[in-house]
Parts: sequence; structure tokens; C-alpha cells
Amino acid sequence: MTAKSFLTLLGVLSLSGCAQTPVAQAQGSEPLKVCAAENEMPYSNSKGEGFENKLAEFVGKELGRKIEYVGWIDPRHFIRDLLDKKRCDLVMGLDDGDPRVATTKPYYRSGYVFVTKEDKSEMAQNWDGELIKKAQRIAFMPGTPAETMLRAVGRYNDMFNYLHELVGFKSPRNQYVKYETSKLVNEVASGKAEMAVLWGPAAARYVKEASTPLAMTVIPDNNVRADGQKVPHHFSTSMGVRKDDQSLLLALNKLIEDKQDEIEEILEAEGIPLLPEDESTATNKN
Amino acid sequence: MQIRKFAKYARTSALAAGIALALAQTAQANSDLDKLSKQNTNWVMQTKDYSSTHFSEMYDINVTNVKNLKVAWSFSTGVLNGHEGGPLVVDGIMYVHTPYPNNIFALDLNEPGKILWQFKPKQNPAARAVACCDVVNRGLAYAPAGDGYPATIFLNQLDGNVVALNAKTGDMLWKMENSDIAVGSTLTVAPFVAKDKVIVGSSGAELGVRGYATAYNIKDGKQAWRVYATGPDEDINLASDFNSANPHYGQFGLGLKTWEGDAWKIGGGTNWGWYAYDPELEMLYYGSGNPAPWNETMRPGDNKWTMTIWGRDINTGKAKFGYQKTPHDEWDYAGVNYMGLSEQMVDGKKTKLLTHPDRNGLVYTLNRENGTLVNAFKIDNTVNWVKHVDLKTGLPVRDPEYSTHMDHEAKGICPSAMGYHNQGIESYDPARKLFFMGVNHICMDWEPFMLPYRAGQFFVGATLNMYPGPKGTLGQVKAMNSVTGEFKWEVAEKFAVWGGTMATAGDLVFYGTLDGWIKARHSETGEELWKFKLPSGVIGHPITYKHDGKQYVAIYYGVGGWPGVGLVFDLKDPTAGLGAVGAFKELAHYTQMGGGVMVFSL
Repeated sequence: MTAKSFLTLLGVLSLSGCAQTPVAQAQGSEPLKVCAAENEMPYSNSKGEGFENKLAEFVGKELGRKIEYVGWIDPRHFIRDLLDKKRCDLVMGLDDGDPRVATTKPYYRSGYVFVTKEDKSEMAQNWDGELIKKAQRIAFMPGTPAETMLRAVGRYNDMFNYLHELVGFKSPRNQYVKYETSKLVNEVASGKAEMAVLWGPAAARYVKEASTPLAMTVIPDNNVRADGQKVPHHFSTSMGVRKDDQSLLLALNKLIEDKQDEIEEILEAEGIPLLPEDESTATNKN
Repeated sequence: MQIRKFAKYARTSALAAGIALALAQTAQANSDLDKLSKQNTNWVMQTKDYSSTHFSEMYDINVTNVKNLKVAWSFSTGVLNGHEGGPLVVDGIMYVHTPYPNNIFALDLNEPGKILWQFKPKQNPAARAVACCDVVNRGLAYAPAGDGYPATIFLNQLDGNVVALNAKTGDMLWKMENSDIAVGSTLTVAPFVAKDKVIVGSSGAELGVRGYATAYNIKDGKQAWRVYATGPDEDINLASDFNSANPHYGQFGLGLKTWEGDAWKIGGGTNWGWYAYDPELEMLYYGSGNPAPWNETMRPGDNKWTMTIWGRDINTGKAKFGYQKTPHDEWDYAGVNYMGLSEQMVDGKKTKLLTHPDRNGLVYTLNRENGTLVNAFKIDNTVNWVKHVDLKTGLPVRDPEYSTHMDHEAKGICPSAMGYHNQGIESYDPARKLFFMGVNHICMDWEPFMLPYRAGQFFVGATLNMYPGPKGTLGQVKAMNSVTGEFKWEVAEKFAVWGGTMATAGDLVFYGTLDGWIKARHSETGEELWKFKLPSGVIGHPITYKHDGKQYVAIYYGVGGWPGVGLVFDLKDPTAGLGAVGAFKELAHYTQMGGGVMVFSL
């Protein structure tokens, strides 16, 4: 898909459901309106239990502004329907350089991981690992680098039925079909799947909490598709604001620069595998 | 005038009975079923007879007296989901089936409403979640007693099991697992009895089920053969002279070559529609459905042999011909619909024909001995994805404007993914040489999306919006000649005629509408002669039978299925139900859920 057609699509798609949920009341200075999922754990939920809720609270505290959440339930259109329409001002986690918004400096970098039982991690260090060839079930989310790589290594079709089973056979046509990260990790813990391939930050909490000891192995960022094109596995995460909201952008960039340690503390408490930011300049920017 | 016309049918009828007797001597088992199907007192198959004429030679109820048709009796099934298919009537017993939980009631016609036996299967309720479009079931099949088995009723359960029951007692004779809901495969198709076998299809193409049809021995449920829609030729089971009359349709190796890599393994092509059978040729006819996944960019190639009309040998399952109607489907035009057999003159020669109104809005007529295309025309002039079918190559000539490619937003595609013709069983009046077709009139916008989320993740899919076609209503009924492509008459219906039609020698065409009317029209003119409002909308088909010398018309009510999915699951978002909720949003103002059979007589 070309960039142009992608933008065209953005312009024509139908409205997604969304609701305004003020969690904190505005007091003193203007509240900072943050667009956050009502139920996309471990990022955020309406009870404020996600790690991006914690980050938002931290940002609010540092900027001296109350956080007011504007909730969404369908991740496909919230930029267009909420941020662009000024119903909120800040999105906590987007890929660095997301063309729809102005992104801050990246505040962390992480990678896709293989989640396995602890004693199996040796067999899943990269996509040529033995476990990938042998696994009966590999849990993953469609539309991620995991799908691209499973196609490249010839295991996608074997997993197609399982992929649908994971969401109760819901079709992605005409609706947002949510794959719960917690469920995918639990598939490995329960032994139903031999492994899961997930974005590390999304998996971390559930790997830590799992009843069975699980290993989380960051996949090296050196994988390519059959046609030789790179399939990025490591991504830098930034906050996003409207492109014309330069004052907020500057304030957030300063905060990220000054408070990197505190931010990392929150992420490390979550168990997120953190990668050095300079890794991204060494290779192409993802 | 009328009397004379009826007399003409009476002669045809006697002639047909004679032919049936002659056949009985040559054919093996289930010439009995063929014979029973020609006794108009009974209605022993969903398709009425092997040719799937859905036509009865009875004319006690006719154009002059149909206005006096009244409710004789009724029966509630106690199930509220969509009721597809129709009841069977065999020798004084009516067999009524329901959607999931797939209960069966055998009713005594001597004492209507008395339940002789009932069967309530225990099923894994998980099956309900796997079914795409309500939990419908298209009906039962019946086999007369034969060598080593009693008269048998066959049921396909939603959870994938095929069950054989003693038709007199309801006792289970055998049960076989045909489909595994754990991989997204369910059963909604009606079984079909031919010779000593019962044929069973498959559902779940959209979930990557590799479609297959299976023949089980009536006697013990042992699998006689299984044939796939995709993959190696051995699996598809191609005869050595496959498509020899039409090599341009494609012949060997294409179940692999027309797919990228091993995508054929999840390629779809299930069959959940209707079958027809020619006892002389011993050939079975049916259509395989859409390829998977829906997103066409993920499966380059023609995707053979999805979307194919099959002619197969009943004994071995070997395919004598296969004609792919929609190579590389982009619209979900699953080609599993009605197969109607007729004998008509083509180029001055009496020819054995097969006529198939496809979901893609085209009506195909083939020579059913070898698959040669006789005619292919639009069922409505608003069909726009295709300009015409090149009868020489058999290929549709497409209009790129209505393609659903990922970088293209297509507006006003007709038909919609629901098709101009979906699962209804249609009827054929052999004297008039007219097919009567319940036609959907629904179009759609198809907006593909590929939206970024984070960490390189994209949401890939499409939003389908469906709405009434350019003529303003959601349905039509048409009478047409399949050889000439001429339409004798057509009438508009506010809602779709989802279940199909039934015709009689009383010069009548009966059908039910989604909003719950059963109507009778004049076969010659389409004039509405009678109608009655049922307790709930109709997605099944009418039948007719005679008991104690009196002709009856029976039909299921019970709205649901794909068009009624919004009512059944109380969906409000217009794009829900794969877009059906928007198209049929008005329906909730006209009917609500219900479930039962209503029987009429003079």
C-alpha cells in the first residue's frame, strides 16, 4: 500500500465508537486531555491500571496539569476522530515518526519477543529457531511483524485456524477484533501454544505474572521477508500530539529529556525489555 | 381455459410417472426416493426432486381458488433463530427441523400437532460462536428403507456431526463427525440422498476451512468418498477426462498452481448450498464457495477450484467437469446456490441443462453432461462488477471500477456480498419453461482499510456498507427462461425473498418474504393472488403436499440468517453482521423473531 492510498483510506473510513470519560476533575490550570483506550491492557483502561496510565499521571504531575482521559474502544480511528478533532491533546504511545501526528523524542525503545516456557527459550532465539519449525500452535496478532515472519518461514497457513480460534472466530471484516495479550501469553503458560510472538511491552506484565515460569526473548532486528526486504522488530515509542501543537510538543520533549530516569523506572517496573535508543540510528529508522 | 391447462399437466404427470417407473428398473437403490419425489402427495427432499424443480403437479389449489387459502394448522418449534429450508412430508408424517439446537419433530398428519417422536441432540454450544451468520440449518434428508437399513432421516448438526435416525421411531442409527468446530468448520447444509449415499457439505470458508464434500454410506455412515475444492488433483478427485469438453476451463494441477505457496490449504471453497442429481447420468451437481481469506490481496491467483460448478460421478466422486464462475473472487460471491435441472431445446436439440443463479448476479446455464456453457446473463440489469461473460472463454469481463483492491474504494458495487441470489431454493415450471427466482436487490460500498496502530502493527480489513439497490427495494421475484435469458415478468418486494420459491401446476408461485408474508402469484403474469402475514419473517421455502385427498401448502416462519442477524442478536451498528444490519434496518419495524411451521389449505 502506498502512502498516498493509505492517507486516502484514513480520510474515508467510518466513525469508530468513542466516549468521553473524565477520570480526574480539572483543578487549577487547564487539564491535559489524554486519548487513552478504555480497555487495551496493559497499555491503559478506564480504571487507570495500564502502564501508559502511569506514564500519563507522571507527565501530568511534572507539567502541573490534571490528567483528563478521553476514552476510546476501537484503536483504528481514534487519531482521526479524537486527536485531530481536538477532543484530546495527547496520545501516550505511538511509533516514533507516525505520519499522522507530531511525535516527541522517543522515550523508550523495545522489541518483539518470543514468549516460551522457561526451559524452551533456547529453541526460540530467532526466527530460524527449532521451536518455530516444530510448534503446533504459535500465538500471535495479525498485522504485526509476527504475521509477516510466519509467512516468510512458511508457518502462517498452519496457524490460520488457531489465529481465528484465539478470538472466538470473529471476522475482522466490518469490526475491530481484539486479540488480548494476556490471553495469548496464557496460551503459552497453559501449554496450549508452544510459543507466542508479541510486542515486548504488551507481553511483559503477563509474562511476569504467569503461573508457570515463562521466558521472554527479544527477537534480533535482523530479519527479512522472502523478497529480502527488512521486517523491523524493534521500535522506538514516542508520545503524539497534533502537528500544530508545538508548545505541548516542546514541553513534552523537555520532560522526556529531563526525566528519562523516572520514565524508565515506570517501564522497568512493568518488566518491559528496554533497548538502547542509539540502536535505531545505527540502523535505519523504523 | 384453466381446466384445459391443468389437464395438460395431468398428462405430463402421467408421463413423468412412466419415466420414473422405467428408471426404477435400471437404477439401484433410491430409485425409490426418486419415485417418492414424483408422487406429489409427498415432499421428500428439500429440493422436492432430484432435478430440484421445487414444482408440484398438483392443481387442487390454483389461480381460481387460491384466494380462499386459510390456515389449517400450525406448530411452534420453540426455537427463535432463523428457520431456513422446509419441512419434509413422507407418508403421513411431517418432519420439522430447527436451527441450532437442531431439534427434530415428527408430526402426525392424521392428528396435526401430535408429535410422534422428537430428537433433541446434545451439542457443544461453542458451535454457535463459530457460525458466521446466525445458527441456521437448511433442513433434513430422507432415505426410504433399503438393503440393510430402515427408512432414515438425516440431520447435519451445527457442531459438525451427521446423524442418521430411524424415520419411524427417531432412534439414532449412526453418527459421524464431518466437521470440526475447533478449526472453524460447522454444518448448515442440508444432507442430500442419492443412490446408497448421503452427501454432506461443509461451512466456514471465511475461517480458512478447506472446503470439501463427503459421501457417506446410508447403511452405516462409512465414508465412501471425500472431495476437496483446492489442492492436489487427487484430493479434488478429477476424472482422467476432466473438462475434456472444455479444456479452456482449465484441467489439471490448478488446485495448486492457482495459489501462492501452500495457501490452498486454507483456501476455503466450502459448499453449504444445494445439490441436484441426474439419476440417468449418475451425476451430482453442486457449487463450491468463496476462497479464503476474504482479503483478495492475500491470495493472488485464480484460486481454483473455489466458486466452481461441479459435475461429479455419484459412485466415485470423480469430477467430470468444473466451471469456475468467479476466478479470484473479490466480493465474497460464494457460489453455492441453487442448481436447477431441466431439459430444454438448445440449437434445435433437446439438451440436459443445469441452471444456476449465482451470488455474483449472473445466471449460468450449462450442458450438464459435459459442463459446456449454454448461456450466462445478468439476473438484473443493475449488476455492475461484470460487463458480461465471454461464452467462448467462460470468463467474466470485469469492470475495474467495482474491484475491491486494497488501494481502491469501490462505491455502489452490485450485487453486495450477500449476492443478488443467496441460499433460496428456486422452482422450475417445465411446461412454461420458466424458472421463478427470489432475487436480492442489495448493493454495497467496500472500503478496504490498513490502519497503523503501534510497533509496526496494522489493522487490515474492509468496511462493507450494504443498502437497497438502485431500484429502491431490497428484493425482487422474477420469472425467466434460462436458455434465452428472457424475463417473462418481474415484481419488486420491499424486503428480500431469501428462502426461494415453490411452483405448482395450479399456475401458482409461492414464496415467503423476510418481513413475514407468504404470497401466491400467477405463474404467467406475476399477479399477486393471495397473501398472509406470518408470525415472523421467512428465510425458508414453501412446500406442498396432499393428505387425505386435500392439498396443503406449508412454510417455516422464523426470521434470521444473514439478513436477519441484526434482529437475532439485537445489533445496531449498520456495519455489523458484515453489513447486513444497515441493509435490513427497516426489518425490525415489520417483524420480530419467531419459529414454527404454518400449514394452509382451502
